[in-house]
Amino acid sequence: MTFASFIAKNALRNKRRALLTVVSVAVSCGLLVTLLTLQRELTVPPESEAASLRVIARNKVSLAQPLPAKQLSVVEKIPGVVAVSPFTYFGGNFRDETVTSFAQFAVDPARFRDLIVEGKIADGSYDDFIKDRTSCFVGADTMKRYGLKIGDKMRFTGTFYPVDLDLKILAVFQGTVDDRGVFFHHKLLDELMGNPGTVGTWYLRVASADVANDVIARVDKAFENSSAEVRAETERAFQMGFISMLGNVKMLIGSISAVVVFTLVLVTVSTMSMAIRERFRELAVLKALGFKRTELFGFILAESFGLAALGAWVGIGGSWAFWTLIDLQKLTNGFLLYFEVTPRIMATGATVAALLGIVSAIGPALAVARTSVVEGLKTLD
Amino acid sequence: MAAEPIVVVRDLSKIYRQGDINVVALDHVSLDITAGEFVVLMGPSGSGKSTLLHIIAGIDRPTSGSAKVQGIDIAQLDESQLADWRNQNVGFVFQSFNLIPVLTAAENVELPLLLTDLNGRERRKQVQTALELVGLADRGHHRPDQMSGGQQQRVAIARALVTDPALIVADEPTGNLDAKSAGDVLAILRSLTLTAGKTVVMVTHDPKSAAYGSRSLHLEKGEIAA
Amino acid sequence: MALPLRYNFRNVLVRWRTTLFTILGIAAVVAVFVLLRGMARGIERSSGNTGDPRNILVVRKGSQAESGSLVTREQFRTLQYLDGIAKDERGEPVISAELVMIVSAPRRAGAGEANTLLRGVTAGGMELRPQVTLKEGRWFVPGKREVVVAQRLASRFAGFEIGGTIKAGPDRLTVVGHFDGTGSAFDSEAWMDADEARSIFDRDMYSSVLLRPRDEAALTNLVARIQADKRLSLRAEREVDYYSKQTMTAVPIKYLAGMLGVAMSIGAVFAAMNTMYASVAARTREIGTLRVLGFSRAAIVVCFLVEGSFLAMLGGILGSALAWGVYAFVVVRGINFGTMDFQSFAETVFQFRVTPDLMLLGVLFSVAIGLAGSLFPALRAARLPVISALRSL
Repeated sequence: MTFASFIAKNALRNKRRALLTVVSVAVSCGLLVTLLTLQRELTVPPESEAASLRVIARNKVSLAQPLPAKQLSVVEKIPGVVAVSPFTYFGGNFRDETVTSFAQFAVDPARFRDLIVEGKIADGSYDDFIKDRTSCFVGADTMKRYGLKIGDKMRFTGTFYPVDLDLKILAVFQGTVDDRGVFFHHKLLDELMGNPGTVGTWYLRVASADVANDVIARVDKAFENSSAEVRAETERAFQMGFISMLGNVKMLIGSISAVVVFTLVLVTVSTMSMAIRERFRELAVLKALGFKRTELFGFILAESFGLAALGAWVGIGGSWAFWTLIDLQKLTNGFLLYFEVTPRIMATGATVAALLGIVSAIGPALAVARTSVVEGLKTLD
Repeated sequence: MAAEPIVVVRDLSKIYRQGDINVVALDHVSLDITAGEFVVLMGPSGSGKSTLLHIIAGIDRPTSGSAKVQGIDIAQLDESQLADWRNQNVGFVFQSFNLIPVLTAAENVELPLLLTDLNGRERRKQVQTALELVGLADRGHHRPDQMSGGQQQRVAIARALVTDPALIVADEPTGNLDAKSAGDVLAILRSLTLTAGKTVVMVTHDPKSAAYGSRSLHLEKGEIAA
Repeated sequence: MALPLRYNFRNVLVRWRTTLFTILGIAAVVAVFVLLRGMARGIERSSGNTGDPRNILVVRKGSQAESGSLVTREQFRTLQYLDGIAKDERGEPVISAELVMIVSAPRRAGAGEANTLLRGVTAGGMELRPQVTLKEGRWFVPGKREVVVAQRLASRFAGFEIGGTIKAGPDRLTVVGHFDGTGSAFDSEAWMDADEARSIFDRDMYSSVLLRPRDEAALTNLVARIQADKRLSLRAEREVDYYSKQTMTAVPIKYLAGMLGVAMSIGAVFAAMNTMYASVAARTREIGTLRVLGFSRAAIVVCFLVEGSFLAMLGGILGSALAWGVYAFVVVRGINFGTMDFQSFAETVFQFRVTPDLMLLGVLFSVAIGLAGSLFPALRAARLPVISALRSL
């Protein structure tokens, strides 16, 4: 027998309690990891190298306000701009859905090709898409989710625009950070709307990341004091702006996480103090046999730390496996997309569990240290 | 050597506070115990016999007076020194055995040795010797709940012996045992004083148990009666 | 024969140190649950509380929200002269053609920009919405670039104080007043003259039309008449019905409340189980004695179930009270919360609503946790053999 085996035997003495403790720590750790991942999902947009080379220009009033189509000739002449296409959010509902989670954009197919350099054609042909005014270019995830194939029709009911779309799938792409979008001819939207001469936003690709800021400044400047002032920003900044509109969500999730940790502490502390209370008399015997306070504290700490660590391992590993293996996109109707449990988040969970193991050992250890051998021997339960 | 007192108690007093009143557990007690003696402390409950035992064993502290064991005034030792001292010099036997239920008999006996520098092999050898002394050499791998009360108490005696202490204290060691087992336990304690030169101090209120001792002391209201 | 409740209460209180942590843990779970439900309730409430049952809201057929709707000027003129619309003192129909626009504005404390909903209203707009009252300053003057913003919205955006300006492209709107929407969706809006808005934003069409029929019978007729008119292609419904459907924003928060409720209650059930098992173990002798005295196994089970739920209920009451405390603090300090409306992409301002029924729900939730947590310990207690219970030290 060694100190280690002695501690292990003690920790598992009451198997039911050890199990309950490990499971409750595991559930809480899993929950914490899930919340942190949710927070990250909602507040940190996925990074992509190509995205840092793209700039979105919208109407300064708001995203909902259109821009005049004639701005194109000005934008494409700005130095540093490699490609530009209109990019208009259609916001339609697919089939009978009341909420469609993937976006549809009206673009200029010939120009758009030069914008999404990271996307690859997975099926069909981009040239077919360019040729057919009523066709669309669809992300592989959306194809898979609805079981679509080349040649199928997609019908969208307009919510922002008073028109409906009937599109034929002629090309499929994949390899972007979000392979869900549907892209169709801006000309089709123009026709349906009676050629209003407007676009939603401009989507630009710049020559290099170094000139991005310069291009942004020039675009903004070009339309200053015109009837349609423009606000240009990188794709990432644009996404961050969208996220900031979620308002107090970040704070909300942060405070819930704090409460989860607090609950976790309470549960573990109470379990540890129960475990030690049960053994008060035994610990007094150990003291009588010559064990010192520091050694007893070591026993308690190791036991509490061990249970917390085991719980953390199960909880963090379990939530990682869960979120990695399930098809979240399908489950949440596209509301949550990546839900990546990062090593950093797992480390945070593990740190919390480690501190928990230490904190919950303090109370019982102090109680043991304060009690004399004679008092301890008198304890019945 | 035999004439040398191993325990020298002088003017020992212990006053407890219980609620608002002071309870005098020991009132200026003086006592010498010679090495190899089997001293039995008797007296009604509340007479102070257990308190005296606890102080001699170094698990309780006197209010005043001194208790020297092998020349060391244990009242002067700090918490940590006292713990080491107990480990090396005193063996405990309790009324309710106080074995650790999750450990086997051998592991229970081995427990105090975890605090020594001995390696695993040496520890196992000493454990085996101690178990042989109490006649349980073949029961080492049994857990306490698989043994009778008498066997459990013999394991407890083995645990008290394993560090080879000069002094063994026993608090009502037969209180939870039937007559046969009690006789076995007392015989072992007596033989320890006779053959191994150990000193045993035992608290009991059973006159039959007291008969095994070499000397009986009677405590009454915190004082040693004649 | 059942054991007196006093026995359970005292047992819980006697072991207060052991049980305190469990109670606090359950309290935290219940508080989170009640607050999240209160938040979803607040968002739903702001849309459920909006509109006047006497009004009809008209939007384009097929559009789910005003922000995605278009109503032409001809359509408005047709609606204006429909029979059955109430008339004001001057004999004019009580009707408002409105334009709903999204304007991005800087948040207070430099926390980026967010969208706000700017509503252009015509003459009848204010009369049609008696729940909106002017609190400070004055209403805008038609034909001027003036705007009146909701008080709650003003607390979240920079430049929304009276005298401040809102930028709309090259144009500036001056804030001349603050209104109070009494907890309705209008609390997230800024209002200005509809035709002025059309000119600034270069819009030919309105978004929606709000009108007041003469009476209930006229309302039914008008809705049927507008819906049936193929040429108009508009959708008419009671204003309150329209808003009560706009509760999508609360859905993710409800999901979150549900998910957390389940996950955290698992933890809480285990904590309660641990506590109750320890209580059973510590009272083995006591249970044996009760059995010897003649209490049945059933009585022992009931006894521990009552004790477990009582313990959890203390946590539930504490948690509900805590949630209410947060709510009271938020109300007293006048703190408003905002999130994005998924239909208009504009910021929705809302407040928690922790109501007595939610608090009761929280307490019931805690009792369920207590029952679930004490079932197995109670059965264990009942199964203890009488004799061994008495032997245990």
